[in-house]
Amino acid sequence: MKLELKNISKFFPGIKALQKVNFKLKENSIHALLGENGAGKSTLVKILCGVYQPDEGQIYLNNVEQKITNPITSLSLGISAIHQESVMFDELSVTENIFIGNHIVKSNSLVDWQKMEKKTKELLGNLEADIKPNEKIKDLSIAQRHIVQISRSLIHDADIVIMDEPTASLSQKEIDELYTIIRNLKKQNKSIIFISHKLDEVMEVCDEFTVLRDGEFINADLIANTNKDKLVTYMVGREIDQIFPKKQVKIENEIFNVNNLYKKTQFKNISFNLRKKEILGFYGLVGSGRTEIMKTIFGINKYDDGEVLFKGNKLKINKPNDAIQNGIVYLSEERQNLGMTGLMSVKDNINMAIMEKNSDYLIINQLREIKNAEELQDKLNIKVSYWSQLAQSLSGGNQQKTVIAKWLSTKPEILILDEPTKGIDVKSKSAVHEFMGELVDTGMSIIMISSELTEILGMCDRVVVMYKGLIKNILDVSNTSSEEIVKLASGE
Amino acid sequence: MIKKIITSRDFILFGIIIFGVVVVGIANPFFVQPSSLSDVLTDTSILIILALSQMIVILIRAIDLSVASNLALSGMLISLLSTVYPELPVIFFIILSCSIGTFLGVLNGVSIAILKVPFIVTTLGTLSIYRGLIYFVSDGKQVYSSEFSEDFLALIHYKFLSLSFLFWIAVAVFILMYILLNHTKFGRNLYSLGGNPDAAKYIGINENKYIILAYSLSGFFAGLCGYLWVARYSVASTQIAIGFELTVISACVVGGISVMGGVGTVVGCTLGALLIGFIRNALPAVDISQFWQLAISGAIILIAIIINTKTEQRKEKTIMVE
Repeated sequence: MKLELKNISKFFPGIKALQKVNFKLKENSIHALLGENGAGKSTLVKILCGVYQPDEGQIYLNNVEQKITNPITSLSLGISAIHQESVMFDELSVTENIFIGNHIVKSNSLVDWQKMEKKTKELLGNLEADIKPNEKIKDLSIAQRHIVQISRSLIHDADIVIMDEPTASLSQKEIDELYTIIRNLKKQNKSIIFISHKLDEVMEVCDEFTVLRDGEFINADLIANTNKDKLVTYMVGREIDQIFPKKQVKIENEIFNVNNLYKKTQFKNISFNLRKKEILGFYGLVGSGRTEIMKTIFGINKYDDGEVLFKGNKLKINKPNDAIQNGIVYLSEERQNLGMTGLMSVKDNINMAIMEKNSDYLIINQLREIKNAEELQDKLNIKVSYWSQLAQSLSGGNQQKTVIAKWLSTKPEILILDEPTKGIDVKSKSAVHEFMGELVDTGMSIIMISSELTEILGMCDRVVVMYKGLIKNILDVSNTSSEEIVKLASGE
Repeated sequence: MIKKIITSRDFILFGIIIFGVVVVGIANPFFVQPSSLSDVLTDTSILIILALSQMIVILIRAIDLSVASNLALSGMLISLLSTVYPELPVIFFIILSCSIGTFLGVLNGVSIAILKVPFIVTTLGTLSIYRGLIYFVSDGKQVYSSEFSEDFLALIHYKFLSLSFLFWIAVAVFILMYILLNHTKFGRNLYSLGGNPDAAKYIGINENKYIILAYSLSGFFAGLCGYLWVARYSVASTQIAIGFELTVISACVVGGISVMGGVGTVVGCTLGALLIGFIRNALPAVDISQFWQLAISGAIILIAIIINTKTEQRKEKTIMVE
C-alpha cells in the first residue's frame, strides 16, 4: 500500500470535519475521492499536505507511520497537491514557477537559467504540453497552469499527486489533454488522488474510489465494480433530515425578473423569475457563476447585456446603493471580508446600512440605533454580552446573524443569500433556516446560493441549476431528486 | 518580439526620458551639452542607488521610510570621526559608513520580522529616531568642508571617461543589483515572497530571514550613500537628505515597482530614478518657477502611477467558454 490513512479524525469548534476516516491508496493507481461539498475532502487533502494536523488517527506511507507537521514535510515525503486555488506566482515565468524553491545553481552560486529552461522544455515535452518556458503564469490558461503545477510536482519527485477538481474550468479539449497527462503520470509509477464532481470523468479516468459524506467514510471499491448511479447514492445518501423547518407559505405573484443577462466570459442567457414569498435556490459547482450573477444583480459588477425587472419596471443598477434603494440586498459568501467590519461593534454593524435613516440633520441618533439593534437581536437571537462588543469576537453563527440583521435593517423585499450557512455550526444553521422561513412569511422573497444539496432541497421552492455560466434547468423542488440535480450540475 | 519590447513599460519610460531631453534641449540648448548631461547623471546617482535598494524592500511588500535618516546619521557619524582622526584612510570611513547603515537596517528588520511591528510603523519610527540621533551626536552643529581631510573629499571628484566617480558607483550598484535580483536564489525568492507570500511559505521560504536581509541591504546602501552624500556636498548637518525617502519611493513607483510586491525590474527602477532626476534638473533649466516645480514633479509621478495601475489590472477568471 502506497498510502494508508487509519481512523483519521479532525474537529473544528462545533464541527466534526472528519470522523474515523479510512483511506487506502495503491501504488500506480488513480484514486477518486468523492463527496459533496462539505463532505470532508478538502480537510483530508489539507491533512495530507501538512496544513492541518489530524486530531486522531495515523498516516502510513509505504507502510511506515509518518507525521506530516507542515507543508515542507509533506513535499519531502513526496506528496504534492495541485490546488484549485492557484498557489503559483503570476508574475514569474513558467520555468521559475516549476523550479521555485528548488532553483538549479551553478558552481559560482548563480542561478542556472539555461539549465532550468532546458529541463522545463524537457518536462513539458514529456507531458506533450505546448507551453513556452519563458511565458508568465498570468498569461496562461487555467489548463496550462495545472500542467505547470504538475511539472512542479515532478521536479519535487512526488510520487503521490493530489488533484483537486483539476478539470473544473477546462474545455473538453483541455480536459482530454489533461487525461493523457494523468495517464502518463500513472505510467511513471505515480499514485494520483483525483477529486472531482463529474462522475463521467471519474468513471473514465479512475481505477478506484473512496466516498466521504458528512466527514465519514462511506464506501471504497474498484471503479469497475460500480456505476454512476451507485456513486450518487453513496454521495447523497440519507434522506433529508428534519433540520430544515420549512414553513409552508402561499407563494404569490411574480415580482422580479431577470431576462437574458450576459457578461463576457462569466455567464450568458441567464433568465429566471422570483415570486413573492418564494425561496429560490441556486445550485452548482463552486465557480459555476452563481456568485457572479448575484454580484451583477446587486451592482458590484456590470453586465454586458440583458435586463432586470422589479415589479415590472426595468431597474438600472450601477452600484450596490441602487439595489439597496430598490429593496434588493446581497449577503456575501465572504462574511469576514465583505459582510462586516470586525473591528466595529455589533450595534454599529447592524446599523451600518441605515445611518442616513437614523440621522437627524446629519447627526446619528444613537437611541434609534440601539432600538433597531435590540429589535433585531431579539428577532434573530444574536448572543452579545454588551452592545459595544466587537463583531469579530462573535462566533461564526452570531456573525452571520449580525450580517443578516444589517441587511434586514434596510427593510428589503428581496434578500440574496450567498452560502448563508457555510462554516457555521448546526444550531446556528437551523436558526438561520428557521428565520428564512419567517422572513418569507412576512412577504419577503429570498434567493439562496448553496452548494449543499440537502439545504437546497430542504429550504427552497424551486432551484436553478448552473453549470459553467449557464442555467441548465430550473426545477420544482417537490418534483425532482437529488440525483437529477447533481447530474445537471455536473454538466450532463 | 519587437512589439513586446516596444510596448514594455521600461521602453516607454526610456522613450519618455529621451523625449523629455529633446524637448528641454530645444528650449535650452545648453542643457543637452555633454557636460550638463553628465552633471545630471552625477546628480541622480545617489537616487539610483537608493531606489535600487528600496526596490528590494518594496518587492517583498514592505517599504523603508528610514533610508534618508539612516543616510544622514551614517554620514554624520563618519564626518565627526574624520574630524577627530583625519589621518585614517578614506576606505575605512566608507566601510564604517556602510556598517553603520547595515546595523540601522538590521534594527528595522528585526523590529518587523521578530517583534512584528508593522513595517510602516517601524520605519516611520526609525525615520525620527535616526534623525533625532544626529542632533544628539552632533549637538546640532554642522561639519563644514574645511573640517574634512583632503583625502575624505578627493575620491568623489575623481573622474573616469569624463564621468564622475559617483556615476560609476551607481553603475556598479546597478550591475550588482541586476545580478542579485535576476541570477541568485536570494533575488528570485524575493520575487516569489512578494508575489504570493502564502505560496512562498508552502515551498519553504523563510519569510523572517528575507525581511531582515532586505532591510539590511537597504541599510547598507543608505550607509554607502551617507558617505557619498557628505563627500559630494562637503557638509554634514542635521538637515541633509531630509525628505529624500519620498523621492526614492517615487522613483521606484515611477519605475514600475509595484507596491503590491513581487513586480518590478532593475532596469525599470533605474529608469524611474533617471526620470525623476531629469525632471528635478530640467525644470529649473527651462525657467519654470520654483513654486511650480514641486507640483509638476508630483503630477508626473501621479500620471506614472495611474499608467501603472491601468496596466496592472488583473483579468477576471473565465467561467464560461464561449
